[in-house]
Amino acid sequence: MTAPATTAARSKGSGPASGVAGKASAGSRILQKLAIDRFSGVYIIVVLVVTFCLWIPQTFATQANLRVLLASQAITGIIALAATVCLISGVFDLSIGATMSLSISMVGVLQATGGVNPIVAVLISLAAGAAVGCINALVVTRFNIDPVIGTLAMSAVLAAVSWWVANGETVLYGLSPTFVSFGDIVLGVPAPIIYLAVIAVIAWYVLEHTPAGRYLYAAGANPVAARLSGVNVTKLTWGALISSGVLASAAGVALTLQLGTAPFAGGVSYLLPAYAAAFLGSTQIEPGRFNVAGTVVSMFIVAVAVRGLQLRLPDAPWIADLVQGVILLLAVGFAVWARRRRIARG
Amino acid sequence: MLTEGVLAGPRHAADEPAVPAGAPVLEIRNLSKTFPGVRALLDASVTIAAGEIHSLVGQNGSGKSTLIKVLAGVYEPDAGATASVRGEALALGDGKAAHDLGIRFVHQDLGLIDNLTAVDNIALGFGYDTAAGGRIRWRAQRERAALALSLVVDDFPLDRPAGTLTVFQRTALAIARALQDFGENGSLLVLDEPTATMPRDQVEHLFTLLRRIRERGTPVLLVTHHMEEVFAVSDRVTVLRDGSIVSVEQTADLDTPRLVSLMTGGVHRKLERGAGPDLEQVALSVRGLTGDTLKGLDLDVHRGEIVGVAGLGGSGREEICALLFGAEKRTGGEIAVDGKTLPPNDPGEAVTRRIGMVPAHRHTQGLILSESVRRNMTLATLTDFVKGGRVQRKREAAAVAEHITAFGVKTASAEVPVNTLSGGNQQKVVLAKWLRLKPTVLLLDEPTQGVDIAAQADLHQLIFEAAAAGTAVLVCSSDEMELARISDRVLVVRDGTVHAELDSGRATPHNIFAATLGTAPDDGAAGHLDEDLGSDDRTAASPTLSSSPVSSSDPVDGE
Repeated sequence: MTAPATTAARSKGSGPASGVAGKASAGSRILQKLAIDRFSGVYIIVVLVVTFCLWIPQTFATQANLRVLLASQAITGIIALAATVCLISGVFDLSIGATMSLSISMVGVLQATGGVNPIVAVLISLAAGAAVGCINALVVTRFNIDPVIGTLAMSAVLAAVSWWVANGETVLYGLSPTFVSFGDIVLGVPAPIIYLAVIAVIAWYVLEHTPAGRYLYAAGANPVAARLSGVNVTKLTWGALISSGVLASAAGVALTLQLGTAPFAGGVSYLLPAYAAAFLGSTQIEPGRFNVAGTVVSMFIVAVAVRGLQLRLPDAPWIADLVQGVILLLAVGFAVWARRRRIARG
Repeated sequence: MLTEGVLAGPRHAADEPAVPAGAPVLEIRNLSKTFPGVRALLDASVTIAAGEIHSLVGQNGSGKSTLIKVLAGVYEPDAGATASVRGEALALGDGKAAHDLGIRFVHQDLGLIDNLTAVDNIALGFGYDTAAGGRIRWRAQRERAALALSLVVDDFPLDRPAGTLTVFQRTALAIARALQDFGENGSLLVLDEPTATMPRDQVEHLFTLLRRIRERGTPVLLVTHHMEEVFAVSDRVTVLRDGSIVSVEQTADLDTPRLVSLMTGGVHRKLERGAGPDLEQVALSVRGLTGDTLKGLDLDVHRGEIVGVAGLGGSGREEICALLFGAEKRTGGEIAVDGKTLPPNDPGEAVTRRIGMVPAHRHTQGLILSESVRRNMTLATLTDFVKGGRVQRKREAAAVAEHITAFGVKTASAEVPVNTLSGGNQQKVVLAKWLRLKPTVLLLDEPTQGVDIAAQADLHQLIFEAAAAGTAVLVCSSDEMELARISDRVLVVRDGTVHAELDSGRATPHNIFAATLGTAPDDGAAGHLDEDLGSDDRTAASPTLSSSPVSSSDPVDGE
């Protein structure tokens, strides 16, 4: 055989090769160190931050702006993790935005009108989120209704319930001052970002390091094969939907204590950013699968881009929607393209 | 290049006679394909001539699939490869160019939509025949489908959903669809392992179909694992080994042992059975098992025993493993494992009771393709590595590394997605998943389907070792050769119950096949296949086979 044996040796990348090959592999080693494919999002954030700092230094590069950015993203982050958990399990939960609204209404009305202890109010709201998750799970696993349709319908029902609970009014007064103080600045950062960090670490640990997380990934990727390996897929679907309900409620609570008021439809606008972050996240850190770190990184890409453009174009209130929509399309498109490339290259 | 009659591969041109079949249709020269760390193809040159059925054979990982995928445009080749179709240059790695030059592919999964009829499936990808306003002209469309099908097969049921057709009919439909716009410019039909899931009794129909296509002048490139198919239909055969073409031969000049040794490089694996069954202890006891097609199946499997189950499509054989494991709901019957009753429809409980099942469809049921080799291997036994609620990844990785070596899994690493492995290696991962469990009962449904002979021998050896360690093994297979080779006894299922039981002395491929047809074994019933198969030494023990010519060479054990 007239085999050009050098290629095989070079592709192993062991030891410094000579000449052109050496340069090429040195270059690719640097690229590998930087891990552009895995951490591209982190680099994008750096580029965006630098760009906006140079472009609009007087508004973007300020401590106040950083706090606004972090505070708003804390809420988005918590609900994006709700979306991530569901997507890992292979199920869409489109009711997370509405669940968040319900939690906002409940935690506000329970305190303002019901005079309930804020801790009890928070617990009841989280329990309500879990209950929503149970109903979703029942609809999906027992009645075999497609999750997209089932949770979309649930979303509409919850919007009605939230309106009814809040009587169609935003709770402006009557929230416990202790409750609201939990949304203050702590250690120089808005408290909700700390809540996000804690939740993200727990979610990461469960998903990456416990059997439940491993089974959840397996069940999401191939429920039939997972079941035939003894994994209880139904139980996992319940777990995922209940988790997303509770996380969505937590996002609602966090928003309420941050704002100091309880807008009864406040969760709806968080649905798209949550899914945008989760899908973009599947191209980051652990490319090819939904993952907690990827979601958090991606959320900040979107946030920095939106925030910078909002400050630069204060007369364009539509910019946030536009950027989010475009980024979601690009993210999913990029993920598909990257996968195809991996297959073609082997 | 285009000299008529010079068809053999370049390295063999000198010492091989010219082939009379016809002018070269497809010529591929110097095709290499490198994946990161793996050389899948090395300087391969292939020529397909007009009017021939050309088999492409080789073990899993030999480069067959890569070659087909480069031709189909799924992969891009390394620089330096050239190809031409009837003298016209073909850019390899470009699927549309291949299609435009008249190359048609029928892949193993066929790509049919199960709930649509033949008429709709034929229209898929080629468009419907429409009138003004986009209305589908159903009658014309129907005629088009009927015409396309009539070119390859007679009497096709046009109005049945594809999902209800036999495997042969589905294959014929996919072939008819691929060839419908073939016309005068058609140059080559490529079939990728068309018989991998086809019951034996339908394979001959496919051969007839292929000969019909050949008679129309269209060459066929057939990728296959089965020796008997190579000899039954093909005119020439190209043998790949470790990414290189080792031989291009006239089928008439070859015999099974020679072909096997070309494919394996002369390395045969001798199977070692180890300890025999412990007939004192029944590990699996089944009484009155009933499902969709099973009607009261009784069977016992002892510790360390390998029991084979044969049966035609629709006999109930396909259901047995799924019903026993609880993957599907049984409608009646009792199952006991080590004397204790097993509840229905609960795979989780089955795993807890140390029952493993290798399902028939490894891509959809056996593996999580996007996940790593490690994660697939430990999915059923993950709790072994859990301490304080946390999966100890180092311990897991060490165990998996050991299994990869012990089971001979060829993979770039334990962390690559399992879909990057070849079929035989994927199947080893599925089997390893269950052998990790040290199962009491191991249920195997078509354990070596779509797997080459070397990997098949490896898998059989692993099954033997499991039995020697005391596992009760039940093997349901449509491959009579396999059943004859590894079973301690064979149960033949017909009409939902056990129709015959053949002890190891009588369980020859011929007898098994005859029994699945429900007839006493004789020439007519045993049919075409056994004659080409080459059979087991045990055939000598069969009193009923005196009239049937049987060769004594075993393609795997090799004497």
